[in-house]
Amino acid sequence: MLAYQIRIALKSLRRNPALSVLMVCAIGLGIAVSSAFITTYYLMAGDPIPDKSDQLFYVEIDTWDPESPFDDDYPERPPNQISYRDLRAIMESDIPTYQSGMFKSSLTIQPEGENESPYRASSRLCFAGFFPMFEVTFEFGGPWGASVDENLEPVVVINGETNRRLFGGEDSVGRELRINNRNFTVVGVIGDWRPDVKFYDLNNNPFGEPEEIFIPFNFLESMEIVSSGNDSNWKTYARDTYQDFLESESVWIQMWAQLDNRKQKQAYLAFLDAYALELKKLGRHGRPVNNVLLSVTEYMKTEEVVQDEAKMLLIISILFLIVCSVNLIGILLGKFLGRAPEIGVRRALGASRLSVFLQHIVECEVVGLLGGALGLVLSWVALQLINRLFDNLLAFHLDLTMVLAAVILSLFAGLIAGLYPAWRICRVAPATYLKLQ
Amino acid sequence: MELGPIFRALMHNKSRFWLIALEVALTLAIVTNCINVMLDMRSEFLKPSGMDEDNLLVVFTEPFAPEFKEEEFVNALRDEDLLRLRSFPGVAEASGFHQIPLSGSGSASRRRPAGSELDTTVAPLFIVTDRALQTLDVDLIEGRDFTAADFDFDMEAYEQGDAVRNVILNQALAQKLFPDESAVGKVIQNDSSDRAETVIGVVGTLLNSWPSSRYGEDAMLLPGKPGNEYRMRYIVRTEPGASGSVYAELEGLMRDTEPGRVITIRTMEEVKRRQFVMNLALIKILTVVIFLLVAVTSIGIIGLTSFSVTERTRQIGTRRALGATRVDIVRHFLVENWMITGFGLALGLVLTIGLNIALTNAADAPKMDWYLLVGGPVLLWATGIVAALLPAIRASKVAPEIATRTV
Repeated sequence: MLAYQIRIALKSLRRNPALSVLMVCAIGLGIAVSSAFITTYYLMAGDPIPDKSDQLFYVEIDTWDPESPFDDDYPERPPNQISYRDLRAIMESDIPTYQSGMFKSSLTIQPEGENESPYRASSRLCFAGFFPMFEVTFEFGGPWGASVDENLEPVVVINGETNRRLFGGEDSVGRELRINNRNFTVVGVIGDWRPDVKFYDLNNNPFGEPEEIFIPFNFLESMEIVSSGNDSNWKTYARDTYQDFLESESVWIQMWAQLDNRKQKQAYLAFLDAYALELKKLGRHGRPVNNVLLSVTEYMKTEEVVQDEAKMLLIISILFLIVCSVNLIGILLGKFLGRAPEIGVRRALGASRLSVFLQHIVECEVVGLLGGALGLVLSWVALQLINRLFDNLLAFHLDLTMVLAAVILSLFAGLIAGLYPAWRICRVAPATYLKLQ
Repeated sequence: MELGPIFRALMHNKSRFWLIALEVALTLAIVTNCINVMLDMRSEFLKPSGMDEDNLLVVFTEPFAPEFKEEEFVNALRDEDLLRLRSFPGVAEASGFHQIPLSGSGSASRRRPAGSELDTTVAPLFIVTDRALQTLDVDLIEGRDFTAADFDFDMEAYEQGDAVRNVILNQALAQKLFPDESAVGKVIQNDSSDRAETVIGVVGTLLNSWPSSRYGEDAMLLPGKPGNEYRMRYIVRTEPGASGSVYAELEGLMRDTEPGRVITIRTMEEVKRRQFVMNLALIKILTVVIFLLVAVTSIGIIGLTSFSVTERTRQIGTRRALGATRVDIVRHFLVENWMITGFGLALGLVLTIGLNIALTNAADAPKMDWYLLVGGPVLLWATGIVAALLPAIRASKVAPEIATRTV
């Protein structure tokens, strides 16, 4: 029955091609705009690592100014990063399955060739736990092991782009790379690991690419590396040496722990609270004990990853789709009522109201789906343009979600637009038209 | 005019009336809200920075050579860089800055008037070398500029709170700290230490590193030795029109002086654009959305009016046969269109304000400007007339004899 109705629908659409094209275009535009922005919103707000997001926890410890909270607007929140001293202490714990303190920096890569000039690479200093924790996949080699962190071995993990640039895309595991006047050995080349949101560090540009190179965290002391992200401080101090900076109350490190079950989580929280109490006893911090473990999605919510602009575009694009649907109602109504004499005859020959209604709804859905297909193409183009407009700071792409969104939206738009015209046409009284024939 | 009959004829087909009215209303709500957001973003971007933006170049250098670990080396290099920059043909002035205005990356620290119990304010700050005001070309409106003596303070004593550092505030910050009096000669304090600073001058507008943030338009300048082993930055003001030629030569000049650093040259315009990339992109996206929306709505009006012309071919013929001129027919359809869009626009104004409230709550959108509530409807009303004109003219071409044909 459905196949028959679809055949009739296509036949009807072919009868007036210009009008059909107009209808498909009108609804296609609406689908394109709304699915592009719904995807943008979804990518911003969605869970970037669904299979693990409730096992990964962002650690916050409140050792801030006794006089005033870190964030005046949310006084109950601890600082959103931790200090080097706190990091050193809590990395001693053996409760988490994996854990890593980390920060972003900018390091100079000094390529070997004469003609190659040194360049800055976005870099992350982290512990071995980073790679298994965030499910980093590798094209060549793999992550470094925990012993590397302890023995301070100079190894580096590079991304595919760096590997192409410096080693022509070959298996570069074992090759040397000079970074800030020091040689490192490549142990791994990252494969197609590219979370939609850089959820492990939301400080600057949460939608950017992951860093180009990763080196063991413990090199920070000997190489005197500073963060290129945010650094907040409540207590001024004389900073003559790098050591002064490390010992200060500055918060600038992100800390993550993988805790697989509730027991582990509670044990870890107890460990953090004991540490904070210890500090209070030593007089190093004067705030109430307030340690927080945020899951991935909680961390994203706290840091307000979804931009207001994305919310605004979402609202506007849905209204846009409604306008397109209203438009389609008008065209369909005109088209269907123009066919009233024919329907009158069909009704007189015994077609039920329901079958007339369904046949027209099917026609609307066919228009909707064709519009959806067109919309998908347009929306792919739109996303390319959006990425270009944002200077490729963002990398939004067409994915299964978006295809699904477009299909559902187009079916929905087709139904909404079709209900009233189909209802009108199925109520045509056969007698009126028969008289005219 | 025959408004009554036109209205009654119109009400014969209520669905057409409601569809056009609804479409116009929604379009008005979306278009005016988009324009409102765009104007707000554009004014953020166009906000005067107080600097001679067109002629400013920014030199970012990021050292990697080990010599930079020595403070003396950095200090000597800064002097040499500035000497060579300032004597370069086409360069009017150059200074060192530890952070760059409008760049999105900066420093801020709490300040309050010395001895006051007032709440502190977070003041964005720039540590600068000499001649910074001349380089940026900002206006000194009160007090004096830095002199060589101002750079010659004892940093250690200052950090202990034993020596005073002379600073310059911009007008916005001066007014915030000293609302009813002149800031010149006053002493300000850092919140968490005893460091004290004397205000020696006030400049006019000077935007800070984060032009549209909660820090507002405040900024202060501290004399010092900007730059360290991690980064050294300069701002260069070129002679008018020389920006392009200096830009091309600058990287080579810096590399010749000291090759052990990665050098990036940007115009202030580029620095600003990077910072406003979201705003600029959104303006373009919204422009396209508005254009498409008006196009869709126009097509809708054309379509619905055309159907109504087809439907009423016989009536039109009858009217023509009874003596109505072609102009009368065009007028009939236009007046009808005015009535529908007029109703739609009235409904649309309510929706516009509703949507504005929704957007303000959900996405911190700006409040609607009243003149958009006038301008938006006028724009759509004109669009409606143009869209209805095509089918109306087609209607006027209906021949009077149609009226008699099927009888």
